[in-house]
Amino acid sequence: MNGDWEIPMQWLTRLRLQARALLRGVRVEEEMDEEIRYHLDRQIEVNLAAGMTPEDSRFAALREFGGLDQRREECRDARGVSLIESTFQDATYALRSLRKSPGFTTVAVLSLALGIGANTTIFSFVNAVLLRPLPYPESGRLVTLREQPSDSKGSVAVHPLNFLEWRSRSQSFESMALVQVIPTNLLGSEGAEQITVAQTTSGLFQSFGVTPAIGRAFAEAEARPDGPPVAVLSHAFWQRRFGGDPGVLGRRLELGDGYLTVIGVAPPGLRLGLMEPDAYVPLAIDPSNPGAIGSRSFQCYGRLKPGVTIEAARAEMAVIAAQLARQYPLDEGYGVFVSTLHDYLVMEGRPALRLLMAVVAMVLVIACVNLAGLLMARGLGRRAELALRTSLGATRFRLVQQLVIESLVLSALGGAAGLAVAWWATRGLVSLTGGALATGTSEPIRVDGTCLLFTVGISALTAVAFGLLPAWQASRVDPQAALGERTRGGTADRRHHRLRGALVIAEVALAVVLLVGAGLLLRTFSSLTSVRLGFEPAHTITMRLFLGDRDAEYRIGVVDRILQHVEAVPGVQAASTIQFLPLSGMNCGTAFWLDRQPIGDANHALSTDCSLISRGYFKAMGIPVLQGRGFDARDRTGSPRVVIVNQSFARQYFRDGRALGQRITVAGPGQQAAEVVGIAGDVRHNGLAVDPVPTVFLLHAQAPGYITSLVVRATGDPAALAPSIRRAIGEVDPTQGVAGIRTMEEYLEESLARPRLYAALVAGFAVLALTLAMLGVYGLIAYLVTQRTHEIGIRMALGADRGRIFNGLFRQGAALALGGLALGVGAAYALAHLISALLFGVTATDPTTYAGAAVGLLVMALIATAIPARQAARVDPMMALRYE
Amino acid sequence: MSKPTDLVQGTLDLLILKVIALEPMHGWAIAIRIKQMSNSVLQVGQGSLYPALHKLEHQAWITAEWGESENGRRAKYYSLTREGRRALAHESAQWERLSAAISSIVTA
Repeated sequence: MNGDWEIPMQWLTRLRLQARALLRGVRVEEEMDEEIRYHLDRQIEVNLAAGMTPEDSRFAALREFGGLDQRREECRDARGVSLIESTFQDATYALRSLRKSPGFTTVAVLSLALGIGANTTIFSFVNAVLLRPLPYPESGRLVTLREQPSDSKGSVAVHPLNFLEWRSRSQSFESMALVQVIPTNLLGSEGAEQITVAQTTSGLFQSFGVTPAIGRAFAEAEARPDGPPVAVLSHAFWQRRFGGDPGVLGRRLELGDGYLTVIGVAPPGLRLGLMEPDAYVPLAIDPSNPGAIGSRSFQCYGRLKPGVTIEAARAEMAVIAAQLARQYPLDEGYGVFVSTLHDYLVMEGRPALRLLMAVVAMVLVIACVNLAGLLMARGLGRRAELALRTSLGATRFRLVQQLVIESLVLSALGGAAGLAVAWWATRGLVSLTGGALATGTSEPIRVDGTCLLFTVGISALTAVAFGLLPAWQASRVDPQAALGERTRGGTADRRHHRLRGALVIAEVALAVVLLVGAGLLLRTFSSLTSVRLGFEPAHTITMRLFLGDRDAEYRIGVVDRILQHVEAVPGVQAASTIQFLPLSGMNCGTAFWLDRQPIGDANHALSTDCSLISRGYFKAMGIPVLQGRGFDARDRTGSPRVVIVNQSFARQYFRDGRALGQRITVAGPGQQAAEVVGIAGDVRHNGLAVDPVPTVFLLHAQAPGYITSLVVRATGDPAALAPSIRRAIGEVDPTQGVAGIRTMEEYLEESLARPRLYAALVAGFAVLALTLAMLGVYGLIAYLVTQRTHEIGIRMALGADRGRIFNGLFRQGAALALGGLALGVGAAYALAHLISALLFGVTATDPTTYAGAAVGLLVMALIATAIPARQAARVDPMMALRYE
Repeated sequence: MSKPTDLVQGTLDLLILKVIALEPMHGWAIAIRIKQMSNSVLQVGQGSLYPALHKLEHQAWITAEWGESENGRRAKYYSLTREGRRALAHESAQWERLSAAISSIVTA
């Protein structure tokens, strides 16, 4: 009649009454006493009416009622022990029983701490990078717009003409702004300093939804070619340069080629992409010739109108792009890329973070599986206790509740320890990785409230994951069988062994998957470190120069004089310049024509990467000149146009790579045919994992740029030369600042930071997973040994030799390892393509890596099996038979 | 499945449900009414009435309310819930089948 499972209505009533009993316990007791008192008083009245003395009446009433205290206790029992109360009971009981088995508790809490800690650590990164919104009002409406070439997956920067068209034609945006960050030389009492200036149209602050902290932003009217030279300082620059002086408005910044008047200070934390420029100045676009200020080299930000979805904006921009492609030749084959700024900024980090989340999730699953196995063994040992409780009237639900609460207590302990692990690991990892996992905000990566919630959540989930199966199994006790059980090895045991065996195989398989992943990433890292760079990074220091918005003659002359002065610095072996350094993440492309093509016809132009260099560049960077010569003193502004191409270029465009003496025409102002005078070795310019691309080298003296980087090869420590190089530059032109003083080895290190981080993290987690899985193998074999000590003793007493006992157990361990291995290799093979984007120099199905993982696993598994198996073989038959 | 006490307990439950089906009553009145209705054959152990009442209340078969009794004092009145009414019908049918079966055996 009164089953364990009741209908919801009754549950509600029960809960209400239980909550009342717990919260208003005194009141409930008082009411019960009042009720009983009323009853007794009525009975006393009856008795008095029947003629008893008052004393007798009272005595008779009490006797008829039965023992008062006993009845009250029965009433309390009838009300039932509340769920909440029993939970407390179970929790204290669980703590007590965990304290009694410190070995089990330590292993369990430790593996949970590592599993949960790893998850919380990675989650703190995921939270900071992927989940936390950008620190701007309604940042979901903040988007970036870029151009999307139809023949490429990536997007490119925006052409000013398109910005003007997008802004006037689109209806989806509240505001839109075009930005280009350029360096500028700022003069000061301590010499020139190179700062970054964001040239932007007036809608920038509006698009980000912010207003200047002090002063004002510039108006549309100020953004015209002859507009006033005004600037809004960034908050950080204002703090650094002016000490946060509120009287900064109206002050002048003296530049190498003019001045800027400060009209405002931006709010703190405003970042364009991943950087915070030092100042914002108006960007003027001439509507009749928008291309005059540059081509596809601008960033575009917009703010969606309220209620407009990103999909709607995309659809509208697709229509506009199609119109523009029909109208302008330069837009043929281009679409528009629209993305929320947040999505765009985290695009690069997302796959890696997902991978890491998957990896730590697997570690946690292994920890859970391990724990489930341990708990099942524990449940088996507690069969008698549970059977006793069942026969004393505990329902199965009640037993499961008790066991699940035990798991919750364990996972709470593990979660608390895991949080400590995560707090420590996150700090360590942040300082270790530096900017390798970039965020779109200046907010630090740390264990915050969201991470705390996450930890609590997965701890609870974990408890259910590892606790439910053992609890369900343990609660299936048949009291008679369990209490009467004297012999071991019954059917329950066999079922238990099979289930635990399956769990161990599963965790071994997961560990294999992680080992294979770690192996692939480690091999990737090692391939990257041994890749042929094509240049000599050692002993080379670099710094960026901004030549200013000056005439070509100045820009050519100043570089020439700087090189002469720097070459004279003691310890300098060679010096030159290149517009964008290899591995700096910057490159430039250009259109060109071979001699046999219709030169100047845009429809027949070829495109190539190009580098603007000075004489002596190949020597300074340590790049071999394979044929012909490098640029030298012969090549000057007025001398015949010459170019140098790299090996890839020569191979791609000339038969048998015979480029020397051929002529090509590179697009640009005053373009004319130039002779190929040399072929240089290939360089991995665009990244260690990116194969060299065809590149043409132009001479700065014949096609001067506005920015360039100095490359200096030192005889000794390159970093020590930096001050004297800066002095030499100052002697040439005191208005010339420098920025980004770094050795080429530092650029190389930066390129390796991410692969190293991924390899290190996944390898670390794989080792953790392997350890946990081996603990599982060891635990199961050791358990079998203790369960069968008696049997082993008998067999030995009957003459079985130790070798056979050892072999028998060893075979069981080997079966687990091999089963897990087979399953794991299959799973790894199926999953490997997911990380192929992160691999270099190794395929996702690399046999050597799989073999290595297999051997590593087998060796560990054999050790994990051999230890308990040897113990079994050492059993003293006499002791074993006395056991129990 | 059923323990020996179930029968006794169940019987008392049935009596309580039956009695308060007519009108809400307090504990003492229930005890008196059971005695009267069974012509004093059934003597409800007065003390065991209250644990049974509290259990039924927690089962949501009956519900309790404080009210003023016939002698002007505060007393706890019990009445049937919808669940209780359904249970009463079910239990009575069960009881009739059982008693019919027993009497057919005993009187055979």
